Formats: sequence, C-alpha cells, structure tokens
Amino acid sequence: MKRTGPLGYLAHLGVWTYVLLLLLPLYYLLISSFKDNTGILTAPFSPFTGLRPENFAQAFHNATLGPALLNQAYVTVGASVLTLVLALPAAFALARARGPLGVLIERIFAMGFLIPGFAALVPTVLLAISMQLFYTREFLVLFLPASAMPLSVLLLTQAMRAVPAELEESAVIDGAGSWRLLWSVYLPLARQSVTVVVILNFLSFWNEYFFALVITGPDTAVRTAQVALPTLSQANASQYGVLAAGIVITLIPVYVVYALFADKMEGAVLAGAVKG
Amino acid sequence: MIAAPPASAQPPPAPAPRRAGRGRELAWLGFTLPALVWFLVFTVGPLVSLFYFAQTNWRGLLSPRTFVGGQNFARLLDDPVFHHAILNSLVQLVVSLPIVIAGAFMIAYYLALRPRGHRFVRAVLFTPVLLSAPALAMIFVGVFSPSGLVNSTLESAGLGELATPWLAVESTAATAIMIVIIWSSMSVSAVLLASRLNTVPSELFEAAELDGCGHWRRMWLIAWPACRESVGVVTTLQFLWTLFSSAAIVLLLTRGGPGTATVNLSFLVYDYAFNQSKVGYSQAIAVMLFVVGVLGLVGIRRLFRQRY
Repeated sequence: MKRTGPLGYLAHLGVWTYVLLLLLPLYYLLISSFKDNTGILTAPFSPFTGLRPENFAQAFHNATLGPALLNQAYVTVGASVLTLVLALPAAFALARARGPLGVLIERIFAMGFLIPGFAALVPTVLLAISMQLFYTREFLVLFLPASAMPLSVLLLTQAMRAVPAELEESAVIDGAGSWRLLWSVYLPLARQSVTVVVILNFLSFWNEYFFALVITGPDTAVRTAQVALPTLSQANASQYGVLAAGIVITLIPVYVVYALFADKMEGAVLAGAVKG
Repeated sequence: MIAAPPASAQPPPAPAPRRAGRGRELAWLGFTLPALVWFLVFTVGPLVSLFYFAQTNWRGLLSPRTFVGGQNFARLLDDPVFHHAILNSLVQLVVSLPIVIAGAFMIAYYLALRPRGHRFVRAVLFTPVLLSAPALAMIFVGVFSPSGLVNSTLESAGLGELATPWLAVESTAATAIMIVIIWSSMSVSAVLLASRLNTVPSELFEAAELDGCGHWRRMWLIAWPACRESVGVVTTLQFLWTLFSSAAIVLLLTRGGPGTATVNLSFLVYDYAFNQSKVGYSQAIAVMLFVVGVLGLVGIRRLFRQRY
C-alpha cells in the first residue's frame, strides 16, 4: 500500500486479526492433541505441556481409524479413477462434436452444477438399497463420480477443445483410431486439466461426509474416516486431547498432498470455482 | 452491362470446417453415454423421485409406503419445528452471506495490493479448504466446549464470568454455528476473489488514483463492478454451502439443540429421515429445501447479471 492513511492501518489490523482467528483454533487443535485434560485446562495455550503421544494411539484404537483410513482411501481412489474413466471419453467426444446434440449434452452437464445433491439424500439411500449395495463402500465408489461428473466433464471438455485440429488430422492419417487418438493425442495435451480434476475430486471425495454417513453406516469394517472421526467426540466427550489427535490423523493425508502440490491445488480450486 | 458486385462483397462464406459430420457426430456422442447414464441414474433419478417420496406416508427406510398426495405439505404448515428450521436457514443466509461476501471482497482487495506478507496471508486463508465438515466441526467442539478455547481465553483475560457452555445455551448456540460457517468460508472466497482482482487491468485503478480516489472508493466503485461476475460465482457457492453443507455442522455440534434452537432445513431433512422415522415427511422438507435452493440461485443470478 502506497499511502497508509487511517484506513490502511485499519485494513492491516483487520486482515491480520482474521489471520490470527484462523490460526488460533488450528494451533489449539495441534497443541491439545499432545495434552491430557489437566494440561488442556491448566495451560491451554502453552505448547507441549508434557507430551502425550498416547492420545494418537488411543484415538486410532477408539475410532478404529486404521480400517477407516483404508476405507477412505479405497473409496477416494476408486471413485477418482471411475470419474476419469467416465469423464475422459465424454469430454473427448463433446470437444469434437459441435452439433446440436453435443451442445444439448453439454448443457445437461452444465445444469448439473445447480443440482444440490444433498436434497436427494434419502432417494440415494433407497437407490443403494435397491441395488443391494446399502452399507457398502462400493456404492460410494459408484455414486460419488456422478456428483463430480458435471465439473469434471466441463473442465476436461474445455481443455480438449484447445487441441489443434492439425495434430488430430496427422494422427488420423497415421491410422490412429478413436481410442488411440484420445490416449496418445488428447490426453497428454489435456494433462494439466486432468491434474486439476484429479485434485478437486481427491479433495471432495476424501472429505465427503453426509453420503458416507448414511451409506456406510456405523459398521466399523466399512465406514470411512470422516464417519469414524466424530464418534470420538461422543465416546470421549471429556477428553479433547484424544479427539484432537484423531482430527490431526485424518488431516495428515490432505495436508501432505497440499504440501506436495500447493500451487497446483490452489490453481485447481480456483479453476473449479470459476467454472462453477 | 452486368453490374459488378461491389468490391467489398465476399463470396458466400463456406460452411465452417467441421471435424465430424452428422452421422459421425452420433457415433462420437456414444462416448458420452456412460457419463450421461451415470449422471442420470445417480443424480437426476434420485432428485426426481424425491418429488414422489414427498407425497408418501413412509415411516422407515425399509418399511412400505403409501401415497397420500399433498398431505405432508399440509402438515408442514403447522409444524413449529419446520417453521423454526426455515427461520434459522434464512437467518443463516441473510446474516452470513453479506458478511462473508463483503468481508471476502475487502480481504481480496487488500491481497491484490500485495502488501508485505501477502503470500503468508494467502496460504493461511487457503487452509480451511482442506478441512472436511467433521474435522471442522470437531475443531469447533474444542473451541466452544466448557473448558475450550473461548472460555480459556476469557478466563486468562480476567473475564471468566462471561464463560458459558456456548453450544448448550439457546441464546448462543445459533450464533456459534454462524461463526463456524463464516470462519470456514470467508477465507476461501477471499482467495478466489483476489485471483480475479489480479486480472483487472491496473490502468483502471491508476486513472482513479489520479482523480483522487482513495482505496475505499476504488474498492467499491471500480474493483467491485469489475469483478461483478466473480462475486456472483462466489455468492452462489457460499449460498449453496450455507444452505446445504451446514447440516453437517449442526448435526455434529448441536444436533439441532438445545431443544430445537439450531435446527435448519438441511439438518431437518436428515434428522427426520434417519432419526425420527418420518421419511416421507422429511422428503416434503427436502422439496422445500430444493425450492429454496433454486429460488436463491435464480435470485443471485439476477442480482449479479442484470447490469450489463
């Protein structure tokens, strides 16, 4: 800021206060995860009053986080792969077909943005029951891609439209069929958007809560980490340290991915929102 | 003498080169079929059937249902819990939307000026994106619990007598929910708007600065109209998030309580269907929720598109 009037100071103060308010609960979470109740009560703000790594072991055990994290990974990876398998050919076709039917199909997907899936919570459970997939992870693997389909298809279509026609023509002259064309010409050129789609879907599938709650139910063998986590607050109402440790455990995968791909991830979220 | 065509006339434009002819187009569109089927079966289908289920008397997911027409909707009219839920949802929208959008926009403007530390601020603002609803709610269990962050802060500031169990008191629980909604979403909206502001040509601002416009007027008179469409997008996302995703926050922080103080529409859909054996009735509420959602989306579109 070039001129720092009273408004400028106010702006600095306001923004940094907000930053502090964002960090404080996260800081509190992190330090509490290493404390017992006495520590949380008597020294709420001091870091590491006597380390208690057993909080993590206890959280892991009480909420059966081991299988829960594996289930979460299974659902996330399965749904992400299925989304790509479905969305890539669709985007490939939509990018090339510009007739009225193609426009119509694209519009159907664009409308999908505006469908609030949450309203259909109960009918979705009914669908799971009628497919005999209630209380299974497999239904989530099948269902979640549908919710991600509009954004995935539109982002990929946009990227594939940018593939120059000459490239395609020369590939066709060389005798490439449709699948070959998709695999060796379009996919490599749309790589960036594929990354964006994968990151966005990873985030939303890993963090999915409500549908996972009603579909996988309370069974510890199939429930996901997001469903298992809140049970810690009911079972250990008086021990925030254990709950905090549980939260930290479920956050680690996401933050590791973020640490590795910070720039890509921010770009992906921006791209996703702008399309929305 | 045959009049020569005016020099400027071009031969009739050749049809734009198409990559695929009609017949081939159909063949191509076969590729979209799996995605389309998936979308129709898992998203559109359940949504359409919602309107049928809303007209049934249906007590449990696995029990039989009978068609009763508009009876469920008639019941809504004198259900005090539903009225409370509508009111809470509207209050959540009316209070949190302006705060989040205006706040996010001001933060975005601040970030776009690239003051010292803006990279750090951006990184911090981005962190709530990564939190799932359960993680967010559980963090705030610790913040608002009787011996939690807020009360500890008050205690150490010598204001111990202000400490209460925030989530268990009727007068503060709804505000606490609202704070969680604002806390978790304002930052992301700010990052989104900041990236849009960075693409506004700086000459616009420089001209205004020469004319003696301060930051406050530049922010609202130049930056805001320039970002109108992005503000609309962010408002839409925020609207959907507040209306639908807040159900998880309510469920995990207060379960609608104390009493029915914090019930909102999306929470009620879940609660009636899965905890209170009123499945058919809950679907009538889901229809109302859907209607509020569509009306809101259309309204927001109008609001942010009209001045072109």
